[in-house]
Amino acid sequence: MTLQFWSQYIITIFTEGAIFGIAALGLNLIWGWAGDFDLAFYGYVALGAYMTIVLTVGQPIAPAQYIFGLQLPYPLAMLGATLAAAVMGLVVGLIALRNLRGIYFSIVTLGAVYVLYVLASQYVPLFDGYNGVFGLINPMADVLGISFNDYPAFFMVFCLVIFAGIVLILVRLSGSKFGLALRSLREDERAAAAFGRNIYMLKLKAYVLGAAIGGLAGSLFAAYVTAFNPSAWSPIEAIVLYSAILVGGKGNIRGVIFGVVIIFMVVQESTRFLPDIPGHPSVIPSLRLITIGLVLVLFLFFRPQGLFPERRYHYHLPHVQPEPETAPPAATEAAATVAVPDVATTAPAMAPAAVPAVVANAAPIESPPDILVLEGLSKHFGGVAAVDGCSFRVPKGTVTGLIGPNGAGKSTAIDLISGFKRSDTGTVTFEGTEIQNLPPHEISRLGLIRTFQTPREWPGLTVLENILLAKFEPDQETLLRSMLGPGIGHHSVAEADLARARAIIEEFGLTKLANELAGNLSGGQKRLVEFARIRMAEPKLIILDEPMGGVNPVLGERMARAIEAFVASGTTVIVVEHNLPFIERVAHQVVVMAQGAVIAAGPFESLRSNQSVIDAYLGDEVTV
Amino acid sequence: MQQLLLTLGFGLVAAAILSLSAVAFTLEYAVTNVANLSHGEILTIGAYAAYVVHQRTGNLLLSAIAAALAGGITALAMQTLVIDRFIRNRVGTMPTFIATLGMSFIIQNILVIIFGASSVAYTIPQSAPMHIGPFLWTSTEIMILLTALAITGLLFVIITYTQFGKALRAVYQNRELARVTGINAQFISAATWALAGLVAGYAGFVLAESVGSFTPYFGFSFFLITLTATVAGGLGKPFSTMAGAIIVGLVLEFIGSFNLGKYSLASYNLAFAFAILAIVILVRPRGLFTKPGRSMFE
Repeated sequence: MTLQFWSQYIITIFTEGAIFGIAALGLNLIWGWAGDFDLAFYGYVALGAYMTIVLTVGQPIAPAQYIFGLQLPYPLAMLGATLAAAVMGLVVGLIALRNLRGIYFSIVTLGAVYVLYVLASQYVPLFDGYNGVFGLINPMADVLGISFNDYPAFFMVFCLVIFAGIVLILVRLSGSKFGLALRSLREDERAAAAFGRNIYMLKLKAYVLGAAIGGLAGSLFAAYVTAFNPSAWSPIEAIVLYSAILVGGKGNIRGVIFGVVIIFMVVQESTRFLPDIPGHPSVIPSLRLITIGLVLVLFLFFRPQGLFPERRYHYHLPHVQPEPETAPPAATEAAATVAVPDVATTAPAMAPAAVPAVVANAAPIESPPDILVLEGLSKHFGGVAAVDGCSFRVPKGTVTGLIGPNGAGKSTAIDLISGFKRSDTGTVTFEGTEIQNLPPHEISRLGLIRTFQTPREWPGLTVLENILLAKFEPDQETLLRSMLGPGIGHHSVAEADLARARAIIEEFGLTKLANELAGNLSGGQKRLVEFARIRMAEPKLIILDEPMGGVNPVLGERMARAIEAFVASGTTVIVVEHNLPFIERVAHQVVVMAQGAVIAAGPFESLRSNQSVIDAYLGDEVTV
Repeated sequence: MQQLLLTLGFGLVAAAILSLSAVAFTLEYAVTNVANLSHGEILTIGAYAAYVVHQRTGNLLLSAIAAALAGGITALAMQTLVIDRFIRNRVGTMPTFIATLGMSFIIQNILVIIFGASSVAYTIPQSAPMHIGPFLWTSTEIMILLTALAITGLLFVIITYTQFGKALRAVYQNRELARVTGINAQFISAATWALAGLVAGYAGFVLAESVGSFTPYFGFSFFLITLTATVAGGLGKPFSTMAGAIIVGLVLEFIGSFNLGKYSLASYNLAFAFAILAIVILVRPRGLFTKPGRSMFE
């Protein structure tokens, strides 16, 4: 083997590795961060390759035919190819991301790439059918005066520079608030919507950017192989990209690059030196593909997080003092409870004096205005009326307990208020604005934040990230800012936000857990993270759906005090709860629901003797 | 009108094969909650098994049995060696789904090594097309239609009336609940996959017969149409799936009978199939025969 052979070989490896690496990083944006298993991805690479050639090689010579047939300089063609892939990504994303998730999303994207494949191979006027397009030889060589012999080395450097640029953009993006928000969708979409994230738009942006990166990789690939036709690609070839991402570590940029090295260099290249078996030309390539398939299946089973799992970002928290070794949070909680003598008796005193704890309908004139008004809200599932003409009012600055037997429609009512379900009839008015037809993220942005029956933390993000993300700041989270704004990656998060998050973390006794993944926390700690997120979000109205579910009394006490602190700062709270002593402790007014409607409302005391409330709880005929 | 009825006749044959493949796919999904992307390879293996047997014996019935058995064994192996292990390890739906794509890739390339990538064909003497009512069918096509009807009828009886069918539906509704009531969910899953494999293997054989020739990739391309028919009908619901398959099969045959300038629309089958699917799924994400929710969280 001569020196020349090896230098050529190394140039081949690095050029192909850079192109393949760009494609894998684009797919990682879609699959690794946004969490969508996109089967259309290879279509964007292919479209990029086709477009680059038809934009550079000039008019087709009969009988060949294809679109455009321009003679643009190669960099312009790259731009065109990237844009074309982005446009196709936009069309596919608009259809597939609207309300499809999981396998349904994958199936539609699989369909999309096959539509492209069928069109490219059958519809001759597009890219000349099975003949394909060709003739892109050593682009930019003549302009830059690069000799035929030097061109491979030049093109390798060109690909590596673009690869480095893509890595830089994605490193910035991954730790930015846009990147964090994107990963929160992957972790829990409902919670993301509850904290103001427009799921559809975020996913669409990531998808289009990923597709564009795929198109860019395709553009480089076209220049490398000089020609492109249907036998040069098959939609399922994306499996090589999936394997690389999976082996390296989904979501981790370094991992993905490493995975590309493993899959591409080791699996693809190792067979390069095997002798061909005479008469069986397809054995070696097939063995290679079988290996890739096996690697995919085995990694999915034994190590789905890959060799290098997603990185956890450690933020520099402003003004953090080194913590002395103290007892675990639970013990601190206990100590705190002992220090506060009999909070239950002092609770009424903490209620704002101006707020009479009665239903607003009957309230005197000096009562605060209603922040939330429900009028005749109804929701049917098939023949079942889950919520049936539900009406109540919530005065500003109070705690309203929403109680009722199981199946009374409490949770559905919350879903209707917060936009997670669409009501059939009736109105929800929040601070004078009708919100019943708004999507969840818009309601959240108005200042109405809800929790769910089970804690919906973002398990794959740290406690600190969970809290940082609770604050929705449109200008901090744009795609443009994440790529070009000040600060690289997770250093771009605003100091003020970090300082505030730190204060909240300390307030809730979560300091030691700040950099722990939220998914590793205990049930009670997850509840605390939920309260901390709400504190960060600073909403006007909080709706808590069974916050006491599975919570021990010590922690319950802590939550009661947190609710009182919210009210003290002027926030309004609605609590759905089966734990009546807790309701009695925190609520100024209680709304009782049964069979989808409100059957009683008023101060807790007034309900003790209410026959219909007793009947509803004990299962007798309800007479309203 | 005459032409229309002829097209309908061909469409019925296409729909019959599609419906066999789709119902097998939907049964696999029903008991494991996994959309098996390697379903097409069961058809391919069925077709090759029949090819091998037909070359040795020349007997059509034996070839058909070989196709079904090979399909059944393949599906059973997929379920017990991969799918069931993934389910028991709680790896999650998406990773299992992705793993089936890997399996598809592995099987395709094993077949390429064994049989080569070039296409093969059965050498079956074709009878002249016969007029049956308004339709024009060959004896092979009549055989396909009759056997498809018989298999569908048999599946209907098994799913609706037998103890096994009840257990199958219970596992589909709620696997955990079925288990605590004493149903061996693992056995039901394996048996259902074997049953689905028998049907899919046979479907591979009749598909290869009606198309003429095949390659290691032919099952996968047909699977793409199977997928659209199944999802359009309703994934996991055998009879909705069949209805979806018949609709998609007929629509594709009618579209394919048109010409646009010099291009026959038949070569765009796959594109049209997915266009139909995209429209259906946008209006009814869970299939034609379901009610849509009003928000994506419902």
